[in-house]
Amino acid sequence: MLSKKSSLLLLGPGLLFIVLGFCLPAVMLLLAPPGIGPAEVFARLGRMLQDPYDLTIIGRTLGLGLLVTALCLVIGFPIALLLARSTSRWSGLLLALAIFPLLLSNVVRTYGWLVLLGQNGVIGQVISAIGLPAPQLLYTETAIVLGLLQLFLPLAIVSCYSAVAQVDAGLDDAARGLGASRTRVLWTVTLPLSIPGVIVAATLVFAGATTAYTTPYLLGGSNQRMLATQLFNYSTVSIDWAAASAVALIMTVLVFAVSGVSTALGSRKGKTS
Amino acid sequence: MTIAAQLRDVSQVFGDFTAVDGINLDIESSKLTTLLGPSGCGKTTTLRMLAGYAQPTSGSILINGKDATRLPPEKRNLGMVFQSYALFPHMTVADNVGYGLKLRKVPAPERRKRVAEALDMVGLGHLADRRPKALSGGQQQRVALARAIAIRPDILLLDEPLSNLDARLRLQMRAEIRRIQQETGLTVVLVTHDQEEALEMSDVMVLMRSGHIMQQGTPQDVFERPANRFVAEFMGYENFFATSEHPQATVRPENLQLLERGATLNSGAHNLPAVITQIAYRGVDVMVRATATDASGTAVDLLAAVRADSGLASGIRLEPGSEITAAIRPADLVPLAN
Amino acid sequence: MSIRLAIPKPTMQKTGGRPVLGTLAVIGYVVMIVPILFVVAAAFSGGDSLQFPPENFSLKWFGAAVSYKPFMSALASSAQLAVLATLLALVIGVPAALALQRSNFAGKGWVQGLFLSPLIVPELVVGLALYQQLIAGLGTSTFTALLVGHTALLIPYAVRVTGAALSLADPFVEEAARGLGAGPFKVFTSVTLPLLRPGIVSAALLSFVTSFNNVPLSLLLQGRNFSTLPVSMLDYVQKSYDPMIAAMSTLILAATIVFAFIAERAVGFATIFGGINK
Repeated sequence: MLSKKSSLLLLGPGLLFIVLGFCLPAVMLLLAPPGIGPAEVFARLGRMLQDPYDLTIIGRTLGLGLLVTALCLVIGFPIALLLARSTSRWSGLLLALAIFPLLLSNVVRTYGWLVLLGQNGVIGQVISAIGLPAPQLLYTETAIVLGLLQLFLPLAIVSCYSAVAQVDAGLDDAARGLGASRTRVLWTVTLPLSIPGVIVAATLVFAGATTAYTTPYLLGGSNQRMLATQLFNYSTVSIDWAAASAVALIMTVLVFAVSGVSTALGSRKGKTS
Repeated sequence: MTIAAQLRDVSQVFGDFTAVDGINLDIESSKLTTLLGPSGCGKTTTLRMLAGYAQPTSGSILINGKDATRLPPEKRNLGMVFQSYALFPHMTVADNVGYGLKLRKVPAPERRKRVAEALDMVGLGHLADRRPKALSGGQQQRVALARAIAIRPDILLLDEPLSNLDARLRLQMRAEIRRIQQETGLTVVLVTHDQEEALEMSDVMVLMRSGHIMQQGTPQDVFERPANRFVAEFMGYENFFATSEHPQATVRPENLQLLERGATLNSGAHNLPAVITQIAYRGVDVMVRATATDASGTAVDLLAAVRADSGLASGIRLEPGSEITAAIRPADLVPLAN
Repeated sequence: MSIRLAIPKPTMQKTGGRPVLGTLAVIGYVVMIVPILFVVAAAFSGGDSLQFPPENFSLKWFGAAVSYKPFMSALASSAQLAVLATLLALVIGVPAALALQRSNFAGKGWVQGLFLSPLIVPELVVGLALYQQLIAGLGTSTFTALLVGHTALLIPYAVRVTGAALSLADPFVEEAARGLGAGPFKVFTSVTLPLLRPGIVSAALLSFVTSFNNVPLSLLLQGRNFSTLPVSMLDYVQKSYDPMIAAMSTLILAATIVFAFIAERAVGFATIFGGINK
């Protein structure tokens, strides 16, 4: 154990840095950007929450965020389960393949969809080769969902994997011996015991998907604005700092609310089990 | 005698390692059969194949006369108690015990009754609403037992069920499992590496080594007439030597007689000249180690357990260097196959 | 690569396949990996626009990417920024992790929350905040603002990953060392630091890639003559549809694969990402 004095010495510089270099600027932005008071920010926020166009963007951000979160769990959990429970010698490679994208630039990963979905892209070529009219693929919500799914799936897999891996595989055997099919084992044993990890996965994916910039920028363009691209626009194109602060406020509150809920859920889960 | 399960030419091969090598075994109904052997002998693999967690590489498994070789565990109706207990941490004790019944769509009132019965049988009726984490190791083990019994399994399978308990609790649970088995008339297969446990609990003992069955019989059969040197060693025999009739024979340490050099036991006894090398006092007994020359002229190590006061009675000095005769009565001699 | 391997693995398990889970897994791997493969394929095109199948095989876009000045200067900037921000974050974060793991005081939960908060606040918001307060407000350079922002972003990783390594260690080893005659400083250098080393290496590797790949935070802080590589690549995509970005992306992919092997050798993948989800 460290003395009070030495822990203060160890924490002090970091606290100072975080407060001055991070907290203070963030609070200033959210409440009182340069030359503007809190009243103006909240007035702008109020108008935004009544404007149909802004509401569409908020709705799209939330909707796509939820959809991507659901897809990431529905696909990521099975992958995590199969990887964690497999005894195959390929499972190590497949796990590495699932984690590797986390190291790779989002720009590189998202750019792949431009190649696939773009005007002369692979999928368009295939469709017109069959003789069908090439549909608009890029700059659609579908494109954004695919891009975000690719981006956040590894995160979901990693979180679910560590949750599933710490569930004793012997419980699967026990449940099966008592008459449960593998599907029943999944629903009655493995999944309930992995819930804390699934909550973490859902939180990380939702927070990431609702604030991601690269994907909506490259794949949604100006047709399918989301909060992040809107914030960028207000701060660089129209330079409307009250509006930028209002959008920033919405994003920040959203993310804090989600992590608050997840922490509450997580600790309740922790108490009952 | 009815047969609950049969293993026919069953093998299990992992890569270039043969865990179980073509064994044939009949499991008798309403008996407690132990699979006994050192680690790596294939006993746990055999149990897992019987339960359906592992598929035999070749051979077949019959349960109640029907081929079950490819049947998944959930279709076999066998109750398994795992070494780690494998209790569901997110369910109460009652929910753990009722899990298999729920899957069998036993209606709730009936289910509650059977859960209570199973818990009463292991003496844990009062802990039904606890979570497994709140229980001691011994209690968890009883819950695992109750959970396996509650489904009224065709066979109850126990994989080293007592190895995680302390010595006192282990003795208690041996008696308890035996009692439950006899009360319910369940067919039980128990895997253990503890010969004492197997001797105390079994109707039938199956001794395994390197994927083969070395000997099968009642505890008395196996203990008194070990088939070969491996079984004899596993049963605690330590003296191995040749006599004029048998190239390999053994005797229990407590049956080895120590006499004055020159003295012999009466007719038919085997008398080996020996020299004491080590003495260890153990309370009631004194363990005496000696080197002797057997009938083939080979030097062998012998171990005798003698009453602390018998050395004086037979007129020999119990000390290293003392020259004696080690004698074996014909009735105590156990000839061994190679 | 091994997309197909996703299929046999689950289905070849002993008693029959798991068709639903297997199908979902295959879809997942396709979505994660296939777009990257097409980036690589596009990079070897000889044509002037993204087209499939590529007109002919050529390395010309690699040449173009490597000799494109804005990319190369942005690469240097990104590397410089990532290294400095990683070092700063470790210098600040490791002592903090030590204090948070090895002491108890009122309000510890709050302090911990404060150190992890940059993980929660959207990066775009942090970028704009730093732009307003540092660049516009105090007139600092673009690089200073970027360094402050990236360091703040990386501190949570340093605190968490080294903290996780420390929490795995027996807290009594330090007391044992004291009992054997080591002074506080000797205890730190001979016991604590070696215990922390895998955590520090993990944190450093994770911090470096996080900073190097970052877009949202850097986006609003870029200056006329200072831009990071991912941001300048985004700018280029806006301007032109030619395969040079695919070539640059392929080079980054190759570098990332090398990085992944180094990381695997040094501490193992699982260790790096295990720390995040504790």
